[in-house]
Amino acid sequence: MRLLSITRFTFQEVLRRRLFLAVVLLSMLLLVAYALLLRAVVASYIPQMASEGFSVQLALLAGGMFISVPSIWLVYLLSGILAIFLTAGMVSSETEAGTFSIIVSKPLRRYEIIAGKWLGYVLILGCYLALLYLSFLGIIYWVTGYWPDQAWSALGALEMAVLVLLGLTTLGSALFPTLVNGAIMLILFISAPLTNFISTFVQIITTTSQTGTLAPPSETVQNLIAVTNLIIPTDALWHQAAAYLVPVDALNLLATQSFSASTFNIPLINPQDMTSALFIWIICYCLVLPTLAMWRFSRRDL
Amino acid sequence: MTEEQNIPAIRVTDLTKVYGRLVAVDRISFAMQRGEAFGFLGPNGAGKSTVVKMLTGLTLPTAGTIHIFGQVVDHLETRKRVGYLPELPTFHRWLKAREFLFFHGQLYGLRGSLLRKRCAEVLSLVGLNGREHQKLGTFSKGMLQRIGLAQALLNHPDLLILDELVSGLDPVGVRDMRELLRQLKASGMSIFLNSHQLADVEALCDRVAIINQGQILKVGAPATLFSGPSVLEIRVSQVSPELLRRLRAIAIAIEPPATADADEQTCTQAPCTLLVEVQNEEQAADIASIIHTCGIRLYSLAVRRNSLEQLFLQTIDDAKSAQEAHV
Repeated sequence: MRLLSITRFTFQEVLRRRLFLAVVLLSMLLLVAYALLLRAVVASYIPQMASEGFSVQLALLAGGMFISVPSIWLVYLLSGILAIFLTAGMVSSETEAGTFSIIVSKPLRRYEIIAGKWLGYVLILGCYLALLYLSFLGIIYWVTGYWPDQAWSALGALEMAVLVLLGLTTLGSALFPTLVNGAIMLILFISAPLTNFISTFVQIITTTSQTGTLAPPSETVQNLIAVTNLIIPTDALWHQAAAYLVPVDALNLLATQSFSASTFNIPLINPQDMTSALFIWIICYCLVLPTLAMWRFSRRDL
Repeated sequence: MTEEQNIPAIRVTDLTKVYGRLVAVDRISFAMQRGEAFGFLGPNGAGKSTVVKMLTGLTLPTAGTIHIFGQVVDHLETRKRVGYLPELPTFHRWLKAREFLFFHGQLYGLRGSLLRKRCAEVLSLVGLNGREHQKLGTFSKGMLQRIGLAQALLNHPDLLILDELVSGLDPVGVRDMRELLRQLKASGMSIFLNSHQLADVEALCDRVAIINQGQILKVGAPATLFSGPSVLEIRVSQVSPELLRRLRAIAIAIEPPATADADEQTCTQAPCTLLVEVQNEEQAADIASIIHTCGIRLYSLAVRRNSLEQLFLQTIDDAKSAQEAHV
């Protein structure tokens, strides 16, 4: 299969790129620093909780659950940025450099080139994300004993977010020069959480309830979020992953121990379930964008 | 001869490529026979690289058709029979030579021991033995050209399309490449050569097409394509009025020696060099006979060839003049 030759070649190319190696090394350093820091924080936090009469085990679990969300948000952020930087020039950089000339003239269809490259990046980014995600959760489990019941569902949501980004960069790379594509993708990637941040912030400052539950967002805000999620659904997937990381039962249990759900109502990392319609939209998104890139590349002059 | 063998290696009919308002290729048609070496000559911006890109499927034609061995360019089985070396050797420089050949061999569908064997063969053919484990990033331009040719030969192509073969090669490299191409042609391979290097075209090609402003001006064998009067350079002991009179009877034009008398155009200080323009080179024998009859010593008589480059430029200039006259 010539498509798999392209996939293997993409693997080879990425592994030899300094960018990817640098990211892997920095990620490993980050993990070590994170493990040491978490241990230190827990060591100072547990005696304090015990002295205040809280159950140590429950405090550890609550701490693990609380820390898992921003930690995995970091994983999501790193994977998203890596996906953009690694794939912004997937098609355009090769076209600009002229390296496609002797590949496109070979006995293979143009869509096979894009599909092969896309598959290569799916595997590389998917593995990077999964390894980083499991490492962070592993450290949290090692230090606090907390392991989310729906850890694999959360990983699935995050992998889909990477697929969404990859689909967008693939299409962008078939349409625009590398620099333009990279800039567009970064703006889109940042604008999605920014919209959510603003809307959550507005909810917090307008809420009148003393229960800790936020007031529902206004219609305008809801529409803004819906449109943003349709254009770039990565943030919706992240909030879904956060919802998987923080189960409702655990929240209810913590509520009896003087913790409250509002602990998690922090902009950027607040858990939020996704609608089925949006989920179907995302599936289509992940399939249609690379297909459009293949279609575009099949018709462009090199 | 079977029916398959009668089908041209390349048949191009009314091929047109338009970029916005620019007509890069304007309804050109030609056929390249099997086993033939066909040269494509033209100045920068003539449209020849666009034609090559359309032949290799890199660019889609606006109109017209291209058939390679009787099949459309997209036909994958036919593409397996074509090797292509682009003008600029812009390859993945992080690859080692062997990895580069393995990757492109796989794209041709080669696998296992056959692929390994072919890689070794083509490296040897292009003179890059022992460079298997060297990164392309460390290759000179000439070496990149060679490895590029190697990947184009991996599949034992029936048709080799070359875009500027010898740019970046040293004189020894140029000689080796020309010799290799002659061998490949002798083995029955059809070669399409797009080149600015007129010497390559002259040395290798059976036929040449001259293209300018998207149109083919002439197609034919290099020897006949630029047919015209020949110039003989004659060195004699003296130039007498009698010699001049008799030469003028058969020559188209005569350029007297630089040291000649201004009025009579004669010369008495040996050696005297005359340039005589004649209809064909065979008249050299008649001229030698006239010199002998006049009792003048002939030191040398040589055909002064117009280089292909001069003739090529003349063809382009003629085309421009004709176009200006038309406007």
